[in-house]
Amino acid sequence: MVEKIAPFEQRRQASACLLLLSLGAACLMAQNQGGAASNPTAATRVTHVLGFESIANNANGKLSIQEHTLRFQKSDGATGQVSVASIQDLTLGVQDKQVGGAAMAVGRAATPYGGGRLISLFSHKKYDTLTVEYLDPNGGFHGAIFQLDKGQGQVLKDELVSEGAHVTAPEAKNAGK
Amino acid sequence: MQANKKIHSAVFVVAILLTLAALPQRLLAQSGSVQVDQVDPGDVNIESAFRVAIYENLLVELAKTKQFKQVFRDGDRNASGPEVLILKTTVQKYTPGSETRRAVTTVSGATKLNVRSQLCTRDGKVVVERIVDGNVRFFGGNLRATHNLARNVAEALKKSDLPAPTLASQERK
Repeated sequence: MVEKIAPFEQRRQASACLLLLSLGAACLMAQNQGGAASNPTAATRVTHVLGFESIANNANGKLSIQEHTLRFQKSDGATGQVSVASIQDLTLGVQDKQVGGAAMAVGRAATPYGGGRLISLFSHKKYDTLTVEYLDPNGGFHGAIFQLDKGQGQVLKDELVSEGAHVTAPEAKNAGK
Repeated sequence: MQANKKIHSAVFVVAILLTLAALPQRLLAQSGSVQVDQVDPGDVNIESAFRVAIYENLLVELAKTKQFKQVFRDGDRNASGPEVLILKTTVQKYTPGSETRRAVTTVSGATKLNVRSQLCTRDGKVVVERIVDGNVRFFGGNLRATHNLARNVAEALKKSDLPAPTLASQERK
């Protein structure tokens, strides 16, 4: 009796495994198809220095590329976006800034015996700046400047270029002068 | 006594009206619209961020002065018509500074900008030309120089005697 049931059980387990495997594969395929349609990139933490419409200057938020759109989302939910196809140029730069903002500046100024100068010597940080030049639907030229952590600028620029953003070669810029 | 008062007030009102009538039309009328062109770097090697920041700050500062009915961006298709003046900005000097050097030494590390601003008509006639500076010497980031520059340009244009839109079109005829 036992010998007769055992092969039947084995066949049932094998078919159950096959069913699970095929279900898993189907789920993975569906996920891949969905991903190809939107292909969102990881959001980068940036500071919007100026220029992006409907976003306040010096606002902190996340910059991401979703569905061929460059989107800036503030922490309070306000968003600004621009089509990647409308981008005319992208330029990277580096800025050296004092950290701590206005509160730290007041603290440094109040430090006696010129101690504030000594603090200033060590309380600075380098940032990347990404300048995005784009056109609005009326053909008006816009420029937006974002401040990113060092090294992030090139990554974001490469992502935008791979999405189809137009970049002017440095030689062409010099020729245009 | 009452009659005297009435005469005095009537004379006062007439005097004000005569003064207003004597003022040139161009001082009374709000100028037309302005289109801000992209900043021309000229022969100066200026960072793109500064060029863009000058342009964007100019748009904001010119709108704040309320001297123009509308402030258009470069390339805007709505900026058509003879009454639209064009603001051209050419960088003449740029000295890159350092916020850290300013904070440590106070006397060095200033960011300095010097531009030539020209307000032109559509046919290229220069209406106003000014040389304007924008610096940041003590507090703030380097890009604050562009904000100071744009504010100075807007102030310089506000002080200058701009043609009223009607006068400008008459001159062209």
